Amino acid sequence: MAVATKKVRAEQTPGDDRSGLFDDQFLKKLEYLHVVSRKIFTGNLRAERRTRKVGSGIEFADHRRYSWGDDFRYIDWNVYGRIDKLLLRLFEEEEDLHIYILLDCSRSMLIGNPLKLHYAMQIGAALGYVGLANLDRVALVPFSDRLRGRLPPARGKNRIFKVFEFLRNVEAGGQTDLAACIRKFVHENKRRGLAVLISDFYDPRGFEEGINSLRYNKFEPFVLQIYDQREVDPHLHGDLTLVDCETGEAKEVTVSKSLLDAYKREHEKYCSELSEFCTARALAYFRTHTQLPFDELVLKIFRAGGFLR
Amino acid sequence: MTLLLPIAYQTVLTVAAVLTVLAVVAYILKMRRRRFEVPFSTLWHRVLREKETTSLWKQLRRLLSLLLQLVILALLIVAVLDPQLGSADRDARNVVVIVDASASMKTVDEGPDGQTPRIEVARQRAHELLDAMAGGDAAMIMRMDGQTTPLSRMGSDIPMLHKVVDSIVASDTPADLRRALSAAADALRERKNPTVVLIGDGAYPFEVLDSVVWSRVPTGAEAGPDPAGTSASGRDGIDQKRLADIDLSGIDVRYLPVGKKGDNVGIVAFNARRYLTDKTNYSVFIELQNFGEETAQRRLVVYSGNNPIDVKTVTLQPGQRLRSIYPDLSGGQENRLRAELQPVAVPDSPPGSSEDPLPGRSGDSSGDSVRDRPDVFALDDEAFALLPARKKQKVLLVTNDNLYLEGAMLVYDSIHIDKLLPAEYEERISSGDLATYDAVFFDSYTPEKIPPTPSTHLAYFDPRGEHSPFAIRRTVEAPRITEIDEAHPVMRWVVMSDVNFDRSSVFDVDRTSGEIALARYVRAPIIAAKRDGQRKIAAFGFNLAGTDLTLRVAFPLLLVNTLDWFAGDDADLITTYQTGHRLRVPMDGTYGISEVEVVTPVGRKTRAPVTDGQARFYGNWIGVHRLVARDRGQVVAVVELAANLANPEESQVAPVDDLALGGRTLARPEGFAIARRQALWAYLAIVCLLLLAIEWVTYNRRITV
Repeated sequence: MAVATKKVRAEQTPGDDRSGLFDDQFLKKLEYLHVVSRKIFTGNLRAERRTRKVGSGIEFADHRRYSWGDDFRYIDWNVYGRIDKLLLRLFEEEEDLHIYILLDCSRSMLIGNPLKLHYAMQIGAALGYVGLANLDRVALVPFSDRLRGRLPPARGKNRIFKVFEFLRNVEAGGQTDLAACIRKFVHENKRRGLAVLISDFYDPRGFEEGINSLRYNKFEPFVLQIYDQREVDPHLHGDLTLVDCETGEAKEVTVSKSLLDAYKREHEKYCSELSEFCTARALAYFRTHTQLPFDELVLKIFRAGGFLR
Repeated sequence: MTLLLPIAYQTVLTVAAVLTVLAVVAYILKMRRRRFEVPFSTLWHRVLREKETTSLWKQLRRLLSLLLQLVILALLIVAVLDPQLGSADRDARNVVVIVDASASMKTVDEGPDGQTPRIEVARQRAHELLDAMAGGDAAMIMRMDGQTTPLSRMGSDIPMLHKVVDSIVASDTPADLRRALSAAADALRERKNPTVVLIGDGAYPFEVLDSVVWSRVPTGAEAGPDPAGTSASGRDGIDQKRLADIDLSGIDVRYLPVGKKGDNVGIVAFNARRYLTDKTNYSVFIELQNFGEETAQRRLVVYSGNNPIDVKTVTLQPGQRLRSIYPDLSGGQENRLRAELQPVAVPDSPPGSSEDPLPGRSGDSSGDSVRDRPDVFALDDEAFALLPARKKQKVLLVTNDNLYLEGAMLVYDSIHIDKLLPAEYEERISSGDLATYDAVFFDSYTPEKIPPTPSTHLAYFDPRGEHSPFAIRRTVEAPRITEIDEAHPVMRWVVMSDVNFDRSSVFDVDRTSGEIALARYVRAPIIAAKRDGQRKIAAFGFNLAGTDLTLRVAFPLLLVNTLDWFAGDDADLITTYQTGHRLRVPMDGTYGISEVEVVTPVGRKTRAPVTDGQARFYGNWIGVHRLVARDRGQVVAVVELAANLANPEESQVAPVDDLALGGRTLARPEGFAIARRQALWAYLAIVCLLLLAIEWVTYNRRITV
């Protein structure tokens, strides 16, 4: 924890002014979102989230065949009387939910108006607040080419200011290496939980390996892709030298309308690949542009389900 | 198609090569591109990978763009070469159009009502000629009057040539056909199908018309047998003839006549001079000629200033030339004389026509052949003359009763004489009341003070001492006059070869400061003159009591000449000139002045250079010219002179329909049929603009990049 809180931004990127990101207005919106989330998620148990882990809870989950050594107390004798088979009653085990908010703070997130990073921080803070208010354990893990600090899991909405403070001081920059960062993340966090992955997913190495690492290690990935409208429809024309903001790689192009159309198609195709990847694996996936107000996006997430149960 | 090549072929090729290289280099050189930061270049790489599959087409498109630029450049170069659709090159002519703009072209006899000047019709003919030029024809417009002026270069820019023709106006000078034909022949030398078209009225001197040769004059060695038997002189004669001849060999000369009538009576000479002894009177010489084919009657009026001093009616038979002298005229106070021929409105009652002193006058002027209408050529109906300035001078003699000097002065009636003794002079000069005299003669007395008025002229006899106007180098005993400057007004008509002197001072004359030695004794100046600003000074080195000059006729002549020189009254001064000549006007007192201002009769001011005391300028207009010499802003001399046409050949305005040059009658330029000619440069420029527009659109739409 001490290491994480000491993390300070080494250099402020031009335009990356975070002083006004989490003001009172923002806090009011968070409270509003919290209230709304409770309306949407009615009938749940207070301060509790259930995992899929089957254990010794009180809510029936399933049956399974009795095997040698099982506790006799959980044998369903009514079923045995009807079908003459020994079946064991299983209950959902109740435990605290860990919400890990993985925040992409690579160089590419420092593009857009507003900056994608700022937008991602506001989304992360909002989701984190809802989690904290629901007495879940919320942790923040910024990453780019490596993990850039960590806010350890905390509970209770009064910890939201720690979240703000942490986000304000997150160091941004570097290339995106999703796979390496998530591998390191799963090694460092043994408690499984919901992994909210907020990023633009502009990783030359691809996004599949990173998301699969979460899945394979029993984390529940929640994919949130952020983009800027100008990335989809850049207003470019003429002879240009395109420079990759992360790798610095330059490419001379003459941008024509046909080339722009081809680029738009390629961008859409890339996003569709991510969407199809998540859908095929029953992962929650949201895509948004930075011009959409963050609270609207959060409400949209709530209504779609996946974050609240 | 014909390329007119208004610019040298090599120049066009050089420019084309340079521009082509520049265009190619501009395509090869890579422009610095704008940098743009993208968040994820992988997407662009994927797109460009697909596009690169068509890179060959892309290169071809860039090549297409370059080719488009080169095509535009080529079209522009071709447009510069001025291609013409028209006749073939072999038929193209090089035409020099000589437009006669001499005085006779001011004759008003053209048009349906006979009120159109010939020059206007000549311009119209020139326009028609230009419009009828074929595709490859090139033309040069040349104006012919007293001078020959090429108004354009040889070219096919018809609109420009039309403008040049419109600018032609007739002058008051006679036509110099020799110079015009020579200049045209020079301009056409080494050109294909050389043609000269002369547009004029044919009023040219016969000797010029006869001096044209149509084949090359042989050289002296090839001149053939010498008819005179003296080969050297015969060769010289042929060489002179070759120089005088106008060589039009190989040139097709055509003639377009202008003019309809030739009835003209003109003043061909008009001069006036004062009598030497009586400068209040003067005589006038006038010469008239009837150039028409019918008897003409005119009223001749001579004006002094604006006042008529003589009016008479004259009748002239066809071709008759009437010379007359008006003696002992004394009327009028002006020195400007003007003669004018007027139509006889009422033949039997012209004012002052009761007596006609002119010989050849026609007393019985009631015949049908006598016409009373003005003639078609008004320019020679008026002539101008100037009389030398007449002024009665106030002269002071400072002498000890020299009867020779006082007696000699009595012969001159244009002066008023006062006499003072040297002592009285010194007294009066101190009181400052001697400022009103025009001239002062000092006899054997050299004063310390001279009259302060800068226009008071001084004459010294036997000056001595430091106040002598010229430094005295030495004294010679019994000198004889060996050299006289006869060109100077003081020594005009003076003979002093056998005059005896007992002694004389020898002056130190500095020619570089304008001092002149008028008479010398073996190169030793004895009589000298100089100017000091407006003041003129003459010095005689001898004493009048020690010479027999006072007993000679030369002595009063010397005094009169000196007084005339003082007054600026030069009896030899010619004040009447002919237009069309380079006039040389003596400018008295313009030493050290390099140019004078000339005010022409039309009021225009020009400058004329002064060399050797003579102003030189070209007389273009009839009337009184005024020459003003200034030294540091101060007027030091003013000379007026009159310019008249005074040219019988030019007054012979009868049009010549068939002009013969060197025995060959010139044909009309009927070969100039109206041809369809089409300049292509405008269309090429339009095509270039279209291609540029296509290039611009395709470039901006990234089709050709």
